[in-house]
Amino acid sequence: MATDSLQQYQDVVFDQGRSPWQDAWYRLKQNKLAIISLNFLAALVVICVLTPWLAPYGYETQNLALGASGPSAAHWLGTDIHGRDLMTRLMYGGRISLMVGFAATAVSLVIGVLWGAIAGYVGGLTDTVLMRIVDILYALPFMIFIILLMVVFGRSLLLLFLAIGLIEWLTMARIVRTQVMNIRNQEFVSAAIVTGLSHWQIISRHIIPNIIGPVIVYITLTIPSVMLLEAFLSFLGLGIQPPQSSWGVLISGGVETMEEYPWLLLFPGLTLSATLFALNFLGDGLRDALDPRATSD
Amino acid sequence: MIRFFLSRLLQAMPVIFIVITATFFLIRSAPGGPFDADKVVSQEVIERLNERYNLDAPIHQQYFDYLSHLIRGDFGPSFRYTNRSVTEMIGAGLPITFELAIYAIMIALIIGISAGMLAAVRPNTAQDYIPMSLAMTGICMPSFLLGPLLVLVFGIWLQWLPVSGWGYSPGDKILPAITLGSTYAAYIARLTRGGMLEVLNQDYIRTAKAKGLSTSKIIFKHALRGGLAPVVAFLGPAIAGLLAGSFVVETIFQIPGLGRFYVQAAFNRDYTMIMGTTILLSCLIVFLNMLSDLLAVWLNPRLTLDAKH
Repeated sequence: MATDSLQQYQDVVFDQGRSPWQDAWYRLKQNKLAIISLNFLAALVVICVLTPWLAPYGYETQNLALGASGPSAAHWLGTDIHGRDLMTRLMYGGRISLMVGFAATAVSLVIGVLWGAIAGYVGGLTDTVLMRIVDILYALPFMIFIILLMVVFGRSLLLLFLAIGLIEWLTMARIVRTQVMNIRNQEFVSAAIVTGLSHWQIISRHIIPNIIGPVIVYITLTIPSVMLLEAFLSFLGLGIQPPQSSWGVLISGGVETMEEYPWLLLFPGLTLSATLFALNFLGDGLRDALDPRATSD
Repeated sequence: MIRFFLSRLLQAMPVIFIVITATFFLIRSAPGGPFDADKVVSQEVIERLNERYNLDAPIHQQYFDYLSHLIRGDFGPSFRYTNRSVTEMIGAGLPITFELAIYAIMIALIIGISAGMLAAVRPNTAQDYIPMSLAMTGICMPSFLLGPLLVLVFGIWLQWLPVSGWGYSPGDKILPAITLGSTYAAYIARLTRGGMLEVLNQDYIRTAKAKGLSTSKIIFKHALRGGLAPVVAFLGPAIAGLLAGSFVVETIFQIPGLGRFYVQAAFNRDYTMIMGTTILLSCLIVFLNMLSDLLAVWLNPRLTLDAKH
């Protein structure tokens, strides 16, 4: 096995040369934990997409006579106080949680990285104006903002993504800006400027590869915080509405009855944790793989 | 240095002014008003209330009236709690929230930075996986779950610590501080690890190693400065958020701080209260982001405060 992959590696190296991306992909494949996590997340996404066909019950289907029951052959993860199958609700909840998590993070990633990179790279007045706008947005009352958005656009999931993404990009922008400023002042960037590269070439070839590490780390922090924010908004009645659910809503519901029906907290909690752990390991693997200073051995 | 402070102070004024103006019109464009109660109130009473709180004036008039009061340091009366002024209510909650926030920040910084450093020194070993798994558990564990769990274990089963309250019995500050601090500790641990790994790969660290410096000297004298850059950028808004209070933690432990005002005032359309808390938060954000930018420069001598390239 080892010689096979070594052979493949040498084929790539000697026959075609490798782009930095191929290099990174090769390094990522060496990290077993990251690859297991990648497969786990892919499986999770497939299950959530196919939930309407896979779920053993309807998510509103009640069995009131059964009430809250522990795990059994008919209901693998038990039922909630309304007699609804917990596994089904977890699967449907995952659709919402993953959608909110990924969509809002994507919004915050695009805006935050662009905003922070421009501020840090251009500097001067541009930097001042951009970062003061960030300060203003931090200070505006978030709850009022959400309530207003709901009035204007109605209660929709899309809105929830947008609203959360619009809040979450601020810290990303600050982190990217600091990082870009650190890199912009290093010798190799000065060298690139001297050799006559355009700003765009410097940003895409020298700056972005060097800030990717902290950005990926912050993404792995944003996804869980977005999922939990969704739960908080739903708890206040501003997020998704019952009988719909998400992992965050299931967990906050489980907290209330954790002494009587512990499985209602345990299973949603484990699902969320497993997902976040996988994201975390994949994020660390990506960070290591994409590090431009890493050696490819 | 002084130039930096002066220019940031000059910039702070338009920032805070824009926040005040935007919030003032934002909250008045949200549907519903402060006197929409569950019980039916006669039209006459509502008119009297509007008159008393100056809500019958044209909106630009209200805005200028509010500003002129604000300049004199008067945040106005609360629309929800009769006969209490916003200044009085914020003044009562602020010291409590500040105390809680300071404990939480200390917990977060001490635990977070040491865990992140431990992990970054030996990446992909048990010394990395164990603190980082704990950090990830901390991030997964929202405070509305961690709080009740801690109460259940230490308050009800073991009976070591009081279940709720603030300053009534010894030790009742411990659980809320841990609940609030642990999420931030987890974030800081992950950011520290990422930042440190980035720095530990740099040439100057290799040089330091080649010179034969001890590991602790390399970490504390050379690596930590650069490695903390992402943490410092995160700390500004994080500390401002903590000082503004946490709705969840204050509700769980029944702490009379500021956190609940943010959510309650928004739902009650308590206009003056929303303005008061927003102005407080914006001042904190401006001040702490300034400090955090200053710290970033102090940690990385290559940067300059004037931000001119």
